[in-house]
Amino acid sequence: MKSNELTAESLDRSSIIIWMWLVGLLGAGMMVFTLPIPRIPTLLLIFGIAGFKATLVLRDYMHLKGEKMLIYAIALTPLLLAIALALVLIPDIVFRR
Amino acid sequence: MQVGYETALSPSGKLGVWWFIASEIMVFGCLIGLYVLFRVAHGGWNDQASHVNWRLGAINTLVLVTSSLTMILAFNAVRIERRQRAARFLLVTVLLGFTFLGIKSVEYTHELGEGFTPASGMFWSFYYIMTGLHGFHVLGGIILNLTLYITAVRGTLWSGNKSSRVEFAGLYWHFVDVVWIFLFPLLYLA
Repeated sequence: MKSNELTAESLDRSSIIIWMWLVGLLGAGMMVFTLPIPRIPTLLLIFGIAGFKATLVLRDYMHLKGEKMLIYAIALTPLLLAIALALVLIPDIVFRR
Repeated sequence: MQVGYETALSPSGKLGVWWFIASEIMVFGCLIGLYVLFRVAHGGWNDQASHVNWRLGAINTLVLVTSSLTMILAFNAVRIERRQRAARFLLVTVLLGFTFLGIKSVEYTHELGEGFTPASGMFWSFYYIMTGLHGFHVLGGIILNLTLYITAVRGTLWSGNKSSRVEFAGLYWHFVDVVWIFLFPLLYLA
């Protein structure tokens, strides 16, 4: 039972540390948003922080860090398809006036 | 007791959940891609976007991130067979989900009251479609977690391999969190 408790504590501790990172990054994102920084660097920082937060959730909460290649393939294929679909629409949406 | 990911899951069930998440990635990925393209192509959305309440959006992000923590704590409790603890964290996750939807409905009420409807412009169309679709996913997750909570309290969750459902529900819930992590800066901060 005691080893169970120790294991539970270590499991929960790492989950709470990730949550603290997520909250800290949310705070950092809000700070960047409110500071008088030019728009492009602000956007780069905000979306960089969002990407880092998403990576933390995917890696640690969704356990992708310990997954097999098959799961990575299932997750990445639709992402690449969505990016490809967006790219082929550029001529129609961005350059059409 | 050795605690590992393989002890509490059925590989076929997990693959099924990931296939489902893959289809969701296509839906949200394409919506986000279209939003970015339209926003780049047609300037002038900044005025419309300035009317959303980013403070409430930030609070909702905190709520959803915290609900991801309680969901993983429920899963951790399942892995070490602490049944009451697992049920308690599932309930907290459900309550945080309702909190998220409550705050979102306050936002909608305020925005609609000011005359910003889905027909008020391209930004508002995207805003209502993306946050509305995400809201439906949150509602689906709440129903899923509430079902798990009820089965955990009744004791039927612990028979056979049913406890792996907490992990599957968790994968879905965390994915909904990841989607919001991108929607928040796109719609409230950019």
